[in-house]
Amino acid sequence: MMEAQTIPKPIIPRFPSLKFILRAVAVLIVAALFFVPNYVEDTYILHMMILIFINVVMGSSWNILGGYTGQYSVGHAAYFGAGAYTTMLLLQYKQVAPWYGVWVGAAAALVVAVIIGSICFRLRGPYFVLASIAVAEIFRVATLNLKDITNGAEGVLITEIPPLVIGGRLITDWASKVPFYYIGLVFALLIIGVTWLVRNSKLGYYFQAIREDQDAAHSLGIGLTFYKNVALAISAIFTSLAGSLYAVYVGFIDPSTVLGLDVSVQIVIICIIGGIGTITGPVVGAVLLVPLSEALRSNMITDLLIKVGIVGEETRMGLFLKEHLSQAHVLIYGILVVVTILYMPAGIVGFVRRMTARKARA
Amino acid sequence: MAILELRHVSKFFGGLAANSDVSFEVPVGTIMGLIGPNGAGKTTLFNCITGYYPPSKGEIVFDGRAMNGLLPDKVCKLGMARTWQKVRPLTNLPVLDNVIVGALCRTRSVRDARRIAQEQLHIVKLEGKAHLLAGALPIGERKKLEVARVLATKPKLLLLDEVMGGLNPAESEEIIQLILDIRKEGITQMVIEHDMKAIMRLSDRIVVLNSGEKLAEGSPDEIVNNPQVIEAYLGAES
Amino acid sequence: MEIFFQSLISGILIGGVYALIGIGLTIIFGVMRVINFAHGELLMLGMYATYFLHAVFHIDPFVSIVITIPLMFLYGAILQKIFINRILDALPQNQILLTIGLGLIMSNAVMLAFTSDYKILTTTYSSSSVTLFGISLSTPLMISFAITAVITAALYWFLLKTDTGQAIRATAQDREAARLMGINVKRMSIIAFGLGSALAATAGALISPTYYIFPQVGSAFTLKAFVITVLGGMGSVVGATLGGVLIGVAESTGGVYFGSGWKEVVVFVLFLLVLLFKPAGLFGKSRT
Repeated sequence: MMEAQTIPKPIIPRFPSLKFILRAVAVLIVAALFFVPNYVEDTYILHMMILIFINVVMGSSWNILGGYTGQYSVGHAAYFGAGAYTTMLLLQYKQVAPWYGVWVGAAAALVVAVIIGSICFRLRGPYFVLASIAVAEIFRVATLNLKDITNGAEGVLITEIPPLVIGGRLITDWASKVPFYYIGLVFALLIIGVTWLVRNSKLGYYFQAIREDQDAAHSLGIGLTFYKNVALAISAIFTSLAGSLYAVYVGFIDPSTVLGLDVSVQIVIICIIGGIGTITGPVVGAVLLVPLSEALRSNMITDLLIKVGIVGEETRMGLFLKEHLSQAHVLIYGILVVVTILYMPAGIVGFVRRMTARKARA
Repeated sequence: MAILELRHVSKFFGGLAANSDVSFEVPVGTIMGLIGPNGAGKTTLFNCITGYYPPSKGEIVFDGRAMNGLLPDKVCKLGMARTWQKVRPLTNLPVLDNVIVGALCRTRSVRDARRIAQEQLHIVKLEGKAHLLAGALPIGERKKLEVARVLATKPKLLLLDEVMGGLNPAESEEIIQLILDIRKEGITQMVIEHDMKAIMRLSDRIVVLNSGEKLAEGSPDEIVNNPQVIEAYLGAES
Repeated sequence: MEIFFQSLISGILIGGVYALIGIGLTIIFGVMRVINFAHGELLMLGMYATYFLHAVFHIDPFVSIVITIPLMFLYGAILQKIFINRILDALPQNQILLTIGLGLIMSNAVMLAFTSDYKILTTTYSSSSVTLFGISLSTPLMISFAITAVITAALYWFLLKTDTGQAIRATAQDREAARLMGINVKRMSIIAFGLGSALAATAGALISPTYYIFPQVGSAFTLKAFVITVLGGMGSVVGATLGGVLIGVAESTGGVYFGSGWKEVVVFVLFLLVLLFKPAGLFGKSRT
């Protein structure tokens, strides 16, 4: 006991208040987010915010398994889809309200996770990646083929969501984007909170030990299969929440939009670009990627290029971009991933940290 | 009383015997040296004892309990910890966190684990480097970190696989002192080492392996004067 | 029984094309230890090249491979030099992500240029077939199988008999040892990637008379390529050849017995079983 206290406090922060300032700013932003719907009426902005929240949840959930535990799943669409399909099918065909269905969806994702975990966690490295893709693809093709249950390639469209009434008081009738905004915000804060708790608990240490060296971790008393499955379970549950929210919000799902390989890839990309194994990484990734891809999708970039005068509206280039660029919005993902891997493999957050550390040393 | 007992342990890879019919006992509180030429099957034996491979034949009894088929994490929980010949630091984690991971074997509280870890770092004199990334340490300090990390799991039996390999004489001396201190705590140790002087100084008893078989067992004096051992070593080196 | 033989034969015919895809991936993996997730996109580029050579210059798709092969070899070599070469020592997951990124760029660039509309390459013989012993065989599939066989034979000759081929095999066996023996490992890597991409593009060219051509067609083939190489043992050219044929047969017989919608599931289940129980591949020697 005495010995522990004689140890000098290491590394005194350069600006004792920098961390504090950053935290205070984060708290202020979060507080402000709760009031956004009161002041912002532009539905497009709200729409964008909801998408960002959903992507934060997707990225942060993956981050627990991929970033902290080092298990690079490229099959997370399976959990996203499990949530989305369970909630939607219950709502559309059994009239189960989504605020119950979501939890059934999470349970379904957990079942899927147990199946996938029991297969994939026997494998390491690139084989794990390949197996995770294969299992997710099996779920996609099965959903496509089990037409009696899932309606196959035609997908599931919801016609109406029952109004949420608590104690005889109408909470919301889901007519506006505002309820979705708050649900998204709460989910996002929830997964960020969970990540923080995990990181500062025994689980977090064990997850990271597994990421760094599985054999060493094993020899230090860490049950590899158990802890990998715990990481997967947390990850799968929250990914399914994102899936359910997305499905109910958009009102339509089909196998390719919620179970496709692109969904899995997109989840990984959010984390890679933001920075894996950090709490802020997936948030940065989502805040950057969603608006960028939406701007391309809705032709905002082309309009901007035309407005600024780089490209004439009636020129062939202008017409061409107007017609095609919106379809190729994923192009930006590809370019960003390549640039990230080549120039800042620790993602934006890791890159910024290294720059500030270097500045401090200089 | 023996804390560890090997009864006719064999390990085959395909048709090749890496260990065959090895038997010996490690008495509580002693240091057992394990020596032998390269490829004698020392590390394989460690891997069998600590659960990385199940032995093909024979029994391993630790603390009165048969260990066959137990996985490494269970083995560690029962009180047997090992270091790696090629050190395996958790590179991207701070030195302190490396040791905390070890300490969490005995507690769920990160705060307790941090306290234990700090004590262990103090013992191996790494407390000043607690907040560096483990990957940034030079080899000598990595070896010490490895020892601190396994000590944090509160083992009854410690298996040290060439902790002095690649170290300069001053660093080796530090490790020797450390091993002797650990014995004072009552922790039994099994040590694989190539440095003969060190092993003779440290060990209470020595087992010699050659081509996977036990060639000899005895006190350091008996081993140095054993003609078979001398021949095996000279034979291997010529 | 007739149905079984019918599906068996068409499986073998399409399996030849799959073998080309698998061999390309396995050579790249063997020489560089990089799993190329953009492999299907290289195939897709081959399809588009074939389509335009046919649409603009009226070159028969099976003839046009003499243009597509060198073109895509060059393209692959450049990709290696600019991108892949820089991540050879990176973490495997980062290598995978880089190639995923390159694949996204390729498919979306094609989409940007030619829209996501399906294109169909029609030749006079596209839907013609020959009946042999009561089994009907599609003409384009038969021609493509014959070309596949010739290319595979040429490739084996190249790998076994030429100096460059032997150097590639040596590099695949042990990169460090090859370097010490004075083999220009960097050059071999460039050649290997060029070769891999040329093979993928050839496969694309050969199937273009019978498949829809669209920017996202690649990802299904990337997955198939993995299955084939894992089945055959990562890095084994012979394994990939057999694996390709096996997957072709599994798909077409699986399609007959479980319904065509399920044929991919059959392939993936087979894949998982091999990963779990024979990770060195069906034809590889197991380690322990």
